[in-house]
Amino acid sequence: MEEVEEKIKGLLMKSLDMKPEEVTLEANLKDDLEMDSLEMVELEVALEKEFNIDIKKGEISNKNCVGDVVKTVQDKLKQ
Amino acid sequence: MKKVALTGIGIVAPPGIGKEGFWQSIKQGKSFISPITRFDASLYPSQVAGQVEDLDTSYLSFRLLKKIDKFSVMALVATEHALKDALIDLDKEDPYNIGVFLGNALGGWLYAETELRDLYVEGREGVSPYLASAWFPAAPQGQISIYYGMKGYSKTVVADKASALMAIGYAAQVVGNKKLGIALAGGTEAPVTPYALLCCSTEGSLSKGPYRPFDKERDGFVVGEGAGLVVLEEMESARKRGATVYGLITGYATCCDGTHRITPDPNGKGLAKAIKTALDMAGYQPSDIDYICADGTGTKLGDVSETKAIKEVFGSYAQKIPVSSPKSMFGHLLGASNAVDVIVTLLAMQEGIVPPTINYQTEDPECDLDYVPNNSRPKEIDRALILARGRGGINAVLAIERS
Repeated sequence: MEEVEEKIKGLLMKSLDMKPEEVTLEANLKDDLEMDSLEMVELEVALEKEFNIDIKKGEISNKNCVGDVVKTVQDKLKQ
Repeated sequence: MKKVALTGIGIVAPPGIGKEGFWQSIKQGKSFISPITRFDASLYPSQVAGQVEDLDTSYLSFRLLKKIDKFSVMALVATEHALKDALIDLDKEDPYNIGVFLGNALGGWLYAETELRDLYVEGREGVSPYLASAWFPAAPQGQISIYYGMKGYSKTVVADKASALMAIGYAAQVVGNKKLGIALAGGTEAPVTPYALLCCSTEGSLSKGPYRPFDKERDGFVVGEGAGLVVLEEMESARKRGATVYGLITGYATCCDGTHRITPDPNGKGLAKAIKTALDMAGYQPSDIDYICADGTGTKLGDVSETKAIKEVFGSYAQKIPVSSPKSMFGHLLGASNAVDVIVTLLAMQEGIVPPTINYQTEDPECDLDYVPNNSRPKEIDRALILARGRGGINAVLAIERS
């Protein structure tokens, strides 16, 4: 499952042009990574493609931290 | 009209990026139109354009660049140049005292076309979410406002080939009326894309090249891409900062022909009216004008009616005024073209050199003015007019003078 964490961090670093030390599990998507609603759409689509999962509206939001997103994806992969 | 100072120049155009390189190229009277390489244009009647390559965007983040179209990128780079040239330190300015006024005719099609293709090939999920904020004509205004934190009275003008002159004229009025201390005004356009070029082609006004306005063998205009921005402010604020004042806006007028959805009034009556109104506003006599930067659409109707309008206002003096269309060198930048015309005219004033109309070979008896054929020419310019015309009979005229 660490692989999931690394993949998600990698997606965020690439998409947001950020360094590993900025994209921590504790980083809040809105307050720390400054992600807006369109960047959230990009993230959702990227997660769906990467992990072959379906993310429904509201399951992740930019109020979440990176760790919350990792957990959401991990839970979906277990189902 | 209260005179408004022009204090900063930002230019991204086929002849050069930044005013020095741009002006050196313009003076030489060379062509900067080349075969289109960005996509396969072999099925288009016009396969040449003025193209901006090698734009240095290294100071902009990938996170930003992936969200915006080329027309926003060029506008951002031009803004950077204009602010530096005007010695503006944004940390010392009230953000609500600075506004952005941009002209654009087409929107961001380089971005939009790719995403539309993805929509039809991959379905809805293949489309970038950033398309929503990348393509529309006011996007560059928003991006400049966000990037530089400029929050004052602002406006995007969409008026075909007259867009940028209208944006500059509008900004001059806003600054003149003291609604704003500093305005960044101009235009941006990126028409070298398959769909944008197709739209220009179907109108039937595109040239196979060369672009030769006022020449009897003309066959239309060639598109070009780029952005031009100037800084407008009151004379006092420019002096306080020690900024170079390139010139003053002294008059602006606009009116409509009301004749046809594409073509201008064949007699140029509307353009003549706009010229007269701008001269009156500036307090000039026709004989005060030393140079006219013409639209020079390169269509018979466009060139002849523009010539008629100038002759109607200036009478016999029309023969004595150099009237040129520098865009013959790099293409018609549509909604950004007049911003480049204003910049060319300011630099021409500064150096006392009239830029030429290139590719001029065959005289047209119906176009009998001095179009400054092929070579630039030394001449002191104290007062000048810039003429703009958009499809559907839009006319706009700006009067400027040396400070």
